[in-house]
Amino acid sequence: MHILKQKLMAVTEYIPPPRVIPPGAYPYQRKRVQEDSPLTLIMKRHLKTVFEDSKMIAVVQNNASNADNMMVLKHRLHKHGIAVKFFPNQVVQSFLEGGLHANMAPLFIGPTVLFVSSEPKVKEMLSALRASQQMTLLGACIDDTLLSAQAVVSYSKLPSVSVVQGELVSGLTMLTSHTASMLQRHPAHLSALLQQYVKQRSSDGGSEGAPKAEEAA
Amino acid sequence: MAASGKATVVLKAVKKITVQFCPFESNVRSTREFLVMVGSEKARSTNINCEVIPLVKHDKSAPVVDITYLDGDKLVLKGANLTSSEMLNAFQSLCTDKDLQAKAAAAKK
Repeated sequence: MHILKQKLMAVTEYIPPPRVIPPGAYPYQRKRVQEDSPLTLIMKRHLKTVFEDSKMIAVVQNNASNADNMMVLKHRLHKHGIAVKFFPNQVVQSFLEGGLHANMAPLFIGPTVLFVSSEPKVKEMLSALRASQQMTLLGACIDDTLLSAQAVVSYSKLPSVSVVQGELVSGLTMLTSHTASMLQRHPAHLSALLQQYVKQRSSDGGSEGAPKAEEAA
Repeated sequence: MAASGKATVVLKAVKKITVQFCPFESNVRSTREFLVMVGSEKARSTNINCEVIPLVKHDKSAPVVDITYLDGDKLVLKGANLTSSEMLNAFQSLCTDKDLQAKAAAAKK
Protein backbone atom coordinates (compact mmCIF):
# COMPACT_ATOMS: atom_id res chain seq x y z
CA MET A 1 0.00 0.00 0.00
CA HIS A 2 1.10 3.54 -0.57
CA ILE A 3 2.43 5.19 2.60
CA LEU A 4 -0.23 7.90 2.50
CA LYS A 5 -2.97 5.33 2.28
CA GLN A 6 -1.33 3.40 5.13
CA LYS A 7 -1.26 6.53 7.27
CA LEU A 8 -4.87 7.27 6.47
CA MET A 9 -5.90 3.75 7.38
CA ALA A 10 -3.98 3.92 10.66
CA VAL A 11 -5.57 7.23 11.64
CA THR A 12 -9.10 6.21 10.74
CA GLU A 13 -8.97 2.86 12.46
CA TYR A 14 -12.16 1.93 14.24
CA ILE A 15 -11.86 2.24 18.04
CA PRO A 16 -14.86 0.57 19.59
CA PRO A 17 -16.48 2.31 22.54
CA PRO A 18 -15.39 0.86 25.94
CA ARG A 19 -17.61 -2.00 26.86
CA VAL A 20 -19.67 -1.33 29.93
CA ILE A 21 -19.66 -4.29 32.30
CA PRO A 22 -22.96 -4.58 34.14
CA PRO A 23 -22.33 -3.92 37.84
CA GLY A 24 -23.21 -7.37 39.16
CA ALA A 25 -21.40 -9.47 36.54
CA TYR A 26 -17.94 -9.93 38.04
CA PRO A 27 -17.14 -10.44 41.72
CA TYR A 28 -15.86 -7.47 43.64
CA GLN A 29 -12.14 -7.16 43.06
CA ARG A 30 -11.25 -5.28 46.18
CA LYS A 31 -12.06 -7.25 49.30
CA ARG A 32 -14.66 -5.71 51.50
CA VAL A 33 -13.23 -5.74 54.99
CA GLN A 34 -15.64 -4.57 57.59
CA GLU A 35 -14.43 -3.35 60.92
CA ASP A 36 -15.22 -5.74 63.71
CA SER A 37 -18.02 -4.71 65.96
CA PRO A 38 -17.16 -4.37 69.67
CA LEU A 39 -18.99 -7.59 70.50
CA THR A 40 -16.89 -9.39 67.92
CA LEU A 41 -13.75 -7.94 69.50
CA ILE A 42 -14.79 -9.15 72.93
CA MET A 43 -15.54 -12.59 71.57
CA LYS A 44 -12.22 -12.71 69.78
CA ARG A 45 -10.37 -11.83 72.95
CA HIS A 46 -12.27 -14.55 74.78
CA LEU A 47 -11.47 -17.00 72.01
CA LYS A 48 -7.81 -16.10 72.23
CA THR A 49 -7.66 -16.82 75.96
CA VAL A 50 -9.59 -20.04 75.41
CA PHE A 51 -7.18 -21.24 72.76
CA GLU A 52 -4.18 -20.35 74.86
CA ASP A 53 -5.38 -21.90 78.09
CA SER A 54 -6.90 -25.12 76.94
CA LYS A 55 -4.86 -28.09 75.84
CA MET A 56 -7.83 -29.82 74.32
CA ILE A 57 -10.33 -28.17 71.98
CA ALA A 58 -12.93 -30.42 70.39
CA VAL A 59 -15.37 -29.35 67.70
CA VAL A 60 -18.74 -31.06 67.81
CA GLN A 61 -21.77 -30.61 65.59
CA ASN A 62 -25.14 -30.74 67.30
CA ASN A 63 -28.22 -31.14 65.17
CA ALA A 64 -30.91 -29.71 67.36
CA SER A 65 -30.43 -31.25 70.77
CA ASN A 66 -32.99 -29.85 73.14
CA ALA A 67 -32.32 -27.96 76.35
CA ASP A 68 -32.45 -30.91 78.80
CA ASN A 69 -30.04 -32.97 76.71
CA MET A 70 -27.68 -30.00 76.64
CA MET A 71 -27.95 -29.56 80.39
CA VAL A 72 -27.26 -33.22 81.08
CA LEU A 73 -24.30 -33.15 78.73
CA LYS A 74 -22.95 -29.95 80.25
CA HIS A 75 -23.26 -31.42 83.73
CA ARG A 76 -21.44 -34.58 82.73
CA LEU A 77 -18.64 -32.70 81.10
CA HIS A 78 -18.34 -30.21 83.93
CA LYS A 79 -17.57 -33.03 86.32
CA HIS A 80 -14.40 -33.68 84.35
CA GLY A 81 -13.55 -30.03 83.92
CA ILE A 82 -14.61 -29.70 80.28
CA ALA A 83 -16.37 -26.46 79.38
CA VAL A 84 -18.93 -26.15 76.60
CA LYS A 85 -18.60 -22.97 74.55
CA PHE A 86 -20.70 -21.45 71.81
CA PHE A 87 -19.26 -18.99 69.34
CA PRO A 88 -20.63 -17.70 66.04
CA ASN A 89 -18.89 -19.36 63.11
CA GLN A 90 -18.00 -16.11 61.40
CA VAL A 91 -16.11 -14.84 64.42
CA VAL A 92 -14.23 -18.09 64.81
CA GLN A 93 -13.31 -18.26 61.16
CA SER A 94 -12.06 -14.69 61.04
CA PHE A 95 -10.10 -15.34 64.23
CA LEU A 96 -8.49 -18.50 62.93
CA GLU A 97 -7.57 -17.11 59.53
CA GLY A 98 -4.00 -16.10 60.03
CA GLY A 99 -3.27 -17.89 63.29
CA LEU A 100 -1.78 -21.19 64.34
CA HIS A 101 -4.96 -23.18 64.11
CA ALA A 102 -5.90 -22.01 60.62
CA ASN A 103 -6.48 -25.58 59.47
CA MET A 104 -9.35 -25.96 61.87
CA ALA A 105 -11.35 -23.35 59.98
CA PRO A 106 -13.23 -25.76 57.63
CA LEU A 107 -14.67 -27.55 60.65
CA PHE A 108 -16.74 -24.58 61.72
CA ILE A 109 -19.72 -24.85 59.40
CA GLY A 110 -23.27 -25.25 60.61
CA PRO A 111 -24.31 -25.52 64.25
CA THR A 112 -21.07 -26.22 66.11
CA VAL A 113 -20.15 -26.37 69.76
CA LEU A 114 -16.68 -26.16 71.25
CA PHE A 115 -15.58 -28.38 74.10
CA VAL A 116 -12.53 -26.93 75.77
CA SER A 117 -10.54 -28.22 78.69
CA SER A 118 -7.10 -27.72 80.09
CA GLU A 119 -6.47 -31.45 80.36
CA PRO A 120 -6.98 -33.90 77.54
CA LYS A 121 -9.66 -36.11 79.06
CA VAL A 122 -10.70 -37.82 75.91
CA LYS A 123 -12.29 -41.01 77.23
CA GLU A 124 -14.81 -39.22 79.40
CA MET A 125 -15.67 -36.83 76.61
CA LEU A 126 -16.20 -39.68 74.17
CA SER A 127 -18.45 -41.57 76.57
CA ALA A 128 -20.53 -38.45 77.20
CA LEU A 129 -20.86 -37.87 73.46
CA ARG A 130 -21.86 -41.44 72.79
CA ALA A 131 -24.73 -41.06 75.23
CA SER A 132 -26.24 -38.12 73.35
CA GLN A 133 -27.35 -39.05 69.87
CA GLN A 134 -27.34 -35.65 68.26
CA MET A 135 -23.75 -34.63 68.83
CA THR A 136 -21.18 -35.65 66.24
CA LEU A 137 -17.48 -35.25 66.92
CA LEU A 138 -15.87 -33.57 63.95
CA GLY A 139 -12.30 -33.09 65.10
CA ALA A 140 -10.12 -31.94 67.94
CA CYS A 141 -6.93 -30.03 68.60
CA ILE A 142 -5.06 -31.71 71.44
CA ASP A 143 -1.68 -30.32 72.50
CA ASP A 144 -1.50 -28.20 69.35
CA THR A 145 -2.03 -31.24 67.15
CA LEU A 146 -5.02 -31.38 64.87
CA LEU A 147 -6.78 -34.73 65.11
CA SER A 148 -9.66 -36.20 63.18
CA ALA A 149 -12.53 -38.09 64.83
CA GLN A 150 -10.91 -41.50 64.42
CA ALA A 151 -7.59 -40.11 65.62
CA VAL A 152 -9.31 -38.94 68.79
CA VAL A 153 -10.63 -42.43 69.39
CA SER A 154 -7.19 -43.97 68.95
CA TYR A 155 -5.72 -41.25 71.19
CA SER A 156 -8.09 -42.31 73.94
CA LYS A 157 -6.82 -45.88 73.66
CA LEU A 158 -3.18 -44.88 74.15
CA PRO A 159 -1.60 -45.91 77.46
CA SER A 160 -0.28 -43.24 79.80
CA VAL A 161 3.04 -41.44 79.25
CA SER A 162 4.98 -43.38 81.91
CA VAL A 163 3.94 -46.72 80.42
CA VAL A 164 5.00 -45.61 76.96
CA GLN A 165 8.32 -44.33 78.28
CA GLY A 166 8.95 -47.60 80.07
CA GLU A 167 8.24 -49.53 76.90
CA LEU A 168 10.59 -47.30 74.93
CA VAL A 169 13.42 -47.67 77.44
CA SER A 170 13.02 -51.44 77.58
CA GLY A 171 13.03 -51.65 73.78
CA LEU A 172 16.20 -49.59 73.51
CA THR A 173 18.12 -51.47 76.18
CA MET A 174 17.05 -54.86 74.88
CA LEU A 175 19.95 -55.07 72.46
CA THR A 176 22.60 -54.01 74.95
CA SER A 177 21.31 -56.41 77.59
CA HIS A 178 21.34 -59.18 75.00
CA THR A 179 25.00 -58.40 74.18
CA ALA A 180 25.95 -58.32 77.84
CA SER A 181 24.28 -61.67 78.52
CA MET A 182 26.02 -63.22 75.51
CA LEU A 183 29.41 -62.01 76.72
CA GLN A 184 28.80 -63.41 80.17
CA ARG A 185 27.44 -66.72 78.94
CA HIS A 186 30.74 -68.60 78.91
CA PRO A 187 32.02 -67.68 82.39
CA ALA A 188 28.53 -68.21 83.79
CA HIS A 189 28.39 -71.66 82.23
CA LEU A 190 31.86 -72.45 83.55
CA SER A 191 31.01 -71.36 87.09
CA ALA A 192 27.77 -73.36 87.01
CA LEU A 193 29.63 -76.48 85.90
CA LEU A 194 32.28 -76.02 88.63
CA GLN A 195 29.62 -75.59 91.30
CA GLN A 196 27.93 -78.74 90.15
CA TYR A 197 31.29 -80.54 90.22
CA VAL A 198 31.93 -79.29 93.77
CA LYS A 199 28.55 -80.50 94.90
CA GLN A 200 29.06 -83.92 93.38
CA ARG A 201 32.54 -84.31 94.84
CA SER A 202 31.44 -83.10 98.27
CA SER A 203 28.54 -85.50 98.23
CA ASP A 204 30.81 -88.42 97.14
CA GLY A 205 33.80 -88.08 99.48
CA GLY A 206 33.93 -85.36 102.16
CA SER A 207 37.46 -83.96 102.65
CA GLU A 208 39.04 -85.58 99.53
CA GLY A 209 36.74 -83.69 97.23
CA ALA A 210 37.33 -80.27 98.88
CA PRO A 211 41.11 -79.78 98.21
CA LYS A 212 40.71 -81.05 94.64
CA ALA A 213 37.87 -78.67 94.08
CA GLU A 214 40.06 -75.87 95.48
CA GLU A 215 42.82 -76.80 93.04
CA ALA A 216 40.45 -76.80 90.16
CA ALA A 217 38.95 -73.41 91.11
CA MET B 1 -30.97 -21.81 54.30
CA ALA B 2 -33.84 -22.24 51.89
CA ALA B 3 -36.14 -24.94 53.17
CA SER B 4 -37.96 -26.45 50.28
CA GLY B 5 -41.72 -26.17 50.42
CA LYS B 6 -42.80 -27.67 53.71
CA ALA B 7 -40.65 -26.71 56.64
CA THR B 8 -40.55 -30.18 58.16
CA VAL B 9 -39.16 -33.31 56.69
CA VAL B 10 -41.48 -36.27 56.89
CA LEU B 11 -39.61 -39.48 57.55
CA LYS B 12 -42.53 -41.86 57.72
CA ALA B 13 -41.36 -44.28 55.06
CA VAL B 14 -37.71 -44.20 56.01
CA LYS B 15 -35.89 -46.88 57.92
CA LYS B 16 -32.36 -45.52 58.17
CA ILE B 17 -30.36 -42.53 57.03
CA THR B 18 -26.56 -42.72 57.02
CA VAL B 19 -24.76 -39.44 56.44
CA GLN B 20 -21.08 -39.88 55.77
CA PHE B 21 -18.66 -36.99 55.29
CA CYS B 22 -15.15 -35.81 55.91
CA PRO B 23 -15.27 -32.49 57.76
CA PHE B 24 -11.91 -31.23 56.51
CA GLU B 25 -13.04 -31.23 52.89
CA SER B 26 -14.48 -28.12 51.35
CA ASN B 27 -17.52 -29.66 49.69
CA VAL B 28 -19.34 -30.88 52.77
CA ARG B 29 -21.43 -27.82 53.60
CA SER B 30 -24.57 -29.07 51.85
CA THR B 31 -24.29 -32.51 53.41
CA ARG B 32 -23.93 -31.07 56.88
CA GLU B 33 -26.93 -28.82 56.36
CA PHE B 34 -28.91 -31.79 55.11
CA LEU B 35 -27.93 -33.67 58.25
CA VAL B 36 -29.12 -30.79 60.42
CA MET B 37 -32.47 -30.63 58.67
CA VAL B 38 -33.01 -34.37 58.76
CA GLY B 39 -31.79 -34.76 62.32
CA SER B 40 -33.91 -31.97 63.75
CA GLU B 41 -36.51 -32.65 66.43
CA LYS B 42 -39.46 -32.12 64.11
CA ALA B 43 -38.17 -34.55 61.55
CA ARG B 44 -37.37 -37.15 64.19
CA SER B 45 -40.79 -36.80 65.75
CA THR B 46 -42.47 -37.87 62.49
CA ASN B 47 -40.86 -41.28 62.81
CA ILE B 48 -39.18 -42.31 66.02
CA ASN B 49 -37.99 -45.64 64.66
CA CYS B 50 -35.97 -44.04 61.92
CA GLU B 51 -32.26 -43.90 62.70
CA VAL B 52 -30.12 -40.98 61.62
CA ILE B 53 -26.49 -42.01 61.75
CA PRO B 54 -23.72 -39.50 61.04
CA LEU B 55 -20.34 -40.96 60.15
CA VAL B 56 -17.28 -38.75 60.34
CA LYS B 57 -14.40 -39.98 58.22
CA HIS B 58 -11.02 -38.61 57.24
CA ASP B 59 -10.21 -40.26 53.93
CA LYS B 60 -10.87 -37.44 51.45
CA SER B 61 -13.91 -39.32 50.22
CA ALA B 62 -16.91 -37.50 48.80
CA PRO B 63 -19.84 -36.89 51.14
CA VAL B 64 -22.62 -39.44 50.66
CA VAL B 65 -26.08 -39.78 52.13
CA ASP B 66 -27.45 -43.32 52.13
CA ILE B 67 -31.19 -43.66 52.77
CA THR B 68 -32.90 -47.00 53.28
CA TYR B 69 -36.68 -47.12 53.05
CA LEU B 70 -39.06 -49.46 54.83
CA ASP B 71 -39.80 -51.35 51.61
CA GLY B 72 -36.13 -51.98 50.96
CA ASP B 73 -35.42 -49.26 48.42
CA LYS B 74 -32.22 -47.27 48.66
CA LEU B 75 -31.54 -43.68 47.75
CA VAL B 76 -27.94 -42.51 47.45
CA LEU B 77 -27.31 -38.76 47.41
CA LYS B 78 -23.79 -37.70 46.53
CA GLY B 79 -23.51 -34.31 48.14
CA ALA B 80 -20.23 -33.13 46.64
CA ASN B 81 -21.84 -30.95 43.98
CA LEU B 82 -25.38 -30.59 45.28
CA THR B 83 -26.90 -27.91 47.43
CA SER B 84 -28.80 -28.91 50.54
CA SER B 85 -32.14 -27.73 49.13
CA GLU B 86 -31.67 -29.87 46.01
CA MET B 87 -30.90 -32.90 48.17
CA LEU B 88 -33.89 -32.18 50.35
CA ASN B 89 -36.16 -31.77 47.31
CA ALA B 90 -35.11 -35.08 45.83
CA PHE B 91 -35.45 -36.80 49.18
CA GLN B 92 -38.86 -35.34 49.94
CA SER B 93 -40.29 -36.09 46.49
CA LEU B 94 -39.30 -39.73 46.85
CA CYS B 95 -40.68 -39.80 50.39
CA THR B 96 -44.04 -38.42 49.30
CA ASP B 97 -44.18 -40.94 46.47
CA LYS B 98 -43.57 -43.75 48.90
CA ASP B 99 -46.14 -42.32 51.27
CA LEU B 100 -48.76 -42.21 48.54
CA GLN B 101 -47.95 -45.75 47.52
CA ALA B 102 -48.26 -46.95 51.09
CA LYS B 103 -51.55 -45.08 51.56
CA ALA B 104 -52.93 -46.51 48.34
CA ALA B 105 -51.95 -50.00 49.42
CA ALA B 106 -53.55 -49.45 52.84
CA ALA B 107 -56.72 -48.02 51.23
CA LYS B 108 -57.00 -51.05 48.94
CA LYS B 109 -56.87 -53.36 51.91
